Amino acid sequence: MSVAVTEDSLVQDGRLGRLVIARLKPNEDLIDSAEALCKEHGIDLAVVRGGLGSLIDGQLSYLGREGLIQIHVPGPGVEILSVSGEILSGASRLQAVVADADGKLFAGRLERGKNLTFITVELTLQEWLPD
Amino acid sequence: MTPHFAERAGVRTFIHEGPSLAPRLLDLEVPRCEELRIVLPLASNVAAGLLKALEGRRYGSAVGRILCGGAAHLSYHRMIVTNQPERPYDYGQPVVLDGYITFISGAITVGRDARGAPLLHCHAGFLDRNGEQHGGHLVLDKLIVGSEPLTIRLCLFDQVAYQVQPDAETHFNLLHPVLKELS
Repeated sequence: MSVAVTEDSLVQDGRLGRLVIARLKPNEDLIDSAEALCKEHGIDLAVVRGGLGSLIDGQLSYLGREGLIQIHVPGPGVEILSVSGEILSGASRLQAVVADADGKLFAGRLERGKNLTFITVELTLQEWLPD
Repeated sequence: MTPHFAERAGVRTFIHEGPSLAPRLLDLEVPRCEELRIVLPLASNVAAGLLKALEGRRYGSAVGRILCGGAAHLSYHRMIVTNQPERPYDYGQPVVLDGYITFISGAITVGRDARGAPLLHCHAGFLDRNGEQHGGHLVLDKLIVGSEPLTIRLCLFDQVAYQVQPDAETHFNLLHPVLKELS
């Protein structure tokens, strides 16, 4: 398989800065909340350092041959096992591994507005400071 | 209020029995963190190993990940439906696994109990020796490392802690960010 190179890579020197330690209460969306926290703390770009809790339902996606494929994980009580990714206002990309109430695992990109806290989510973000 | 489902912009919401009070995001900021890599040996108890690694360090709380490793014994909980109106969903009886268990993913919060002692909260996913998937709330003091060492990364921070407090909305005792004196 060959892939056309269309632009240069972005390589940034920098360091990690402030941490935002948060709890999301019920019915708050994970991505919207992460972006709101960054905005409140004046952070342009952040990485997820910790993410743990439960969702009412999970809504994940991945890019398949026929476009964006949705994965619905019915809850309530979908457990967040890990979250990773970057927070950038309006353009955040977060991935998660979650488990349903039968303990079955699901993984994919988190869909904005569709992953609402069930009981609680502990979310810790850290600022990325480019040089 | 009777707990029930509702809908917002086509997405299912859940109204708990207790009052839904603002603010909906609770957050605090700290200027930096300390990084820790912990490799726990075969046959060790993970809670004991983690707490020993943290002993004597100045930190309010920590967050991190299970990076890789295996277990010989573990116990985890999944959420079940109850007949309790104030807590219609809760963790069920533990699911206990023995044998070769391979970690896929996991997150850890080292919080504080009401008296300030460290409290471990962990969710993780893993495969048992038959390849069956499991994931849920992992009990770290029942987790015994097996097959290979278990590597954990933690980000320790001070002045702020995740501390257990009762939550009137959900009727669970939950970790909340709080300002804390240096430990």
